[in-house]
Amino acid sequence: MFDQDLIQKWLDEGTITHAQAEKMRADIEEYKTEHRSKKQIIAFSTIGAILIGIGAILFVASNWEKIGDAVKILLLAGSTLSIHYTGYRLKYENQKYPRLGSALLFLSALFFGASLFLIAQIYNINANNSTLVLIWLFGVFPLIYGYRSTAVAGLCSLLFYIWVGLLYSERNSFGELINFLDLYLISGIALYFTGTLHELSSKAKHAAPIFKFMGLQAVLLALFMYTFGSWESNNEEIVPVVYVFLGILFLAGLLSKSLRSKLTCFQTYMSMGVISFLMAGFTLITQYTSVSEEAYVGFFNLVFLGLLILLLYAGYSTEDIGIVNTAMFWFIPLIIARYFDFFWDLLPRSFFFMIGGLVLLTISIVLERKRRELKAQFAGVGQ
Amino acid sequence: MNQKKILYLTIVFWLLIFSGFIVYKEYTLRTGTEVLLKTLPVDPRDLFRGDYVTLNYEISTLDMEKIPSEESYFYSDEPVYLALELKNGYGVSKKIYTTPPEDELYIKGKVKDILYDWETDESGITTEEETIKELRVDYGIESYFVPEGRGMEIEKAQRTGKTEVTAKIIVDKYGNAVIKSLLIDGKEIEF
Repeated sequence: MFDQDLIQKWLDEGTITHAQAEKMRADIEEYKTEHRSKKQIIAFSTIGAILIGIGAILFVASNWEKIGDAVKILLLAGSTLSIHYTGYRLKYENQKYPRLGSALLFLSALFFGASLFLIAQIYNINANNSTLVLIWLFGVFPLIYGYRSTAVAGLCSLLFYIWVGLLYSERNSFGELINFLDLYLISGIALYFTGTLHELSSKAKHAAPIFKFMGLQAVLLALFMYTFGSWESNNEEIVPVVYVFLGILFLAGLLSKSLRSKLTCFQTYMSMGVISFLMAGFTLITQYTSVSEEAYVGFFNLVFLGLLILLLYAGYSTEDIGIVNTAMFWFIPLIIARYFDFFWDLLPRSFFFMIGGLVLLTISIVLERKRRELKAQFAGVGQ
Repeated sequence: MNQKKILYLTIVFWLLIFSGFIVYKEYTLRTGTEVLLKTLPVDPRDLFRGDYVTLNYEISTLDMEKIPSEESYFYSDEPVYLALELKNGYGVSKKIYTTPPEDELYIKGKVKDILYDWETDESGITTEEETIKELRVDYGIESYFVPEGRGMEIEKAQRTGKTEVTAKIIVDKYGNAVIKSLLIDGKEIEF
């Protein structure tokens, strides 16, 4: 879309007439209103679907004993398929309510999981079973591409993390192989890479942002947990190899000019590559030498801070407010955590909280102002 | 591929998953042998499925000094096959196998934990040789789902020490097991 300043410039230059300028302005306003209303419908219908889905899962969890098993299965599986069919009709055949249709298709993906867990409950399959989550994931995964559903892509990312966590708690041998945080760090990097691969195909592009977002959050959360330094690194030789492998995958994408040009934000992609190689080096070093607690904490604080700065740079240079928001969001817990670490014992408690509160308020004002400036700047150029 | 085909494929795919799951478990229930197992329950809560009783069976802990075994060394997460002997309907550990035994009633499990016994010399110094003393095995039948809030009742009944909680399970010829019901002092619990 055109910027208001640009319209004025064309008007001043005589490129367009007053009538044309007015028409352009009116169209821009109409487009913005329409776009805003579309976003609101998507938000409301998705939240509604999530609430109903949670209700269905809790309904199963309450183990309603008064209804027979066969009726329960028919009720829930029947609801799953009818919701799915209604969603399909509204989105593709009727086409009057495409957004509601998408929300219902997402709801059917939640109901599919609830039905699966109900069947598992009837047959007393072990609680917190990773295989059930994996079946749920496999069952709904095709919907991402079949119906171009971003919400299902988000659900699949979440199920992937839950599956990884449950599998880790189920198998003791995993605990001997890799540390819990490294497992999530690797999962996050891998999910981010999956998102990037989706960018390369026009048919799968819609799922790229959500995969990348979910991957990035896991990476940041795992690195943030590492900054406390209280985690033992009990990794086997395979862990640095996995990190190197991921790093090479990112490098391959960066070195190929044709691939690089297709990536919407190759700077973030590069950040993930850097993290992979840094972690490969760190896990390799910790296997052969003992690293002091201070060095450990220092390294991860630097890496975390460095990543946030790289993300800010990436978000700024590609005018992606989402990445800027993510980086700014993670600055806050880092500052709070380090403030507690350094000043808890040094200051009297009253001063500690008052100064801390003031520091945080100042930072939040600065960050909010900066974020708003960037948002306005990006919107201005992008429109 | 058009959207209609995707719709039909999704419905067929989901129905296959649901029915496959049910058929797999029903096969065990309909063709298997009924075995009673003594238990010791507690009451946690599942993330998605509400209240359940965690069942810790007598056969969950295998004493390697008392139960004959095909192998003397096991690894975590390794599959094991425990042959069962029926005594008054109760399943009792007979022998531990690493491959499914022929012509025996057995239950399939996975090694969860291993308790080692280190050999010591005459002066009490631990030598390098380690032997397995106990195996902790999961059989996939460690959860029994109950209506919300009812798990505590079973746990309390167990804690008094006067009641005996037994699980009635069905084991098929491949060693797969499904819990059929729970018995308190020989009476089936009804919800």
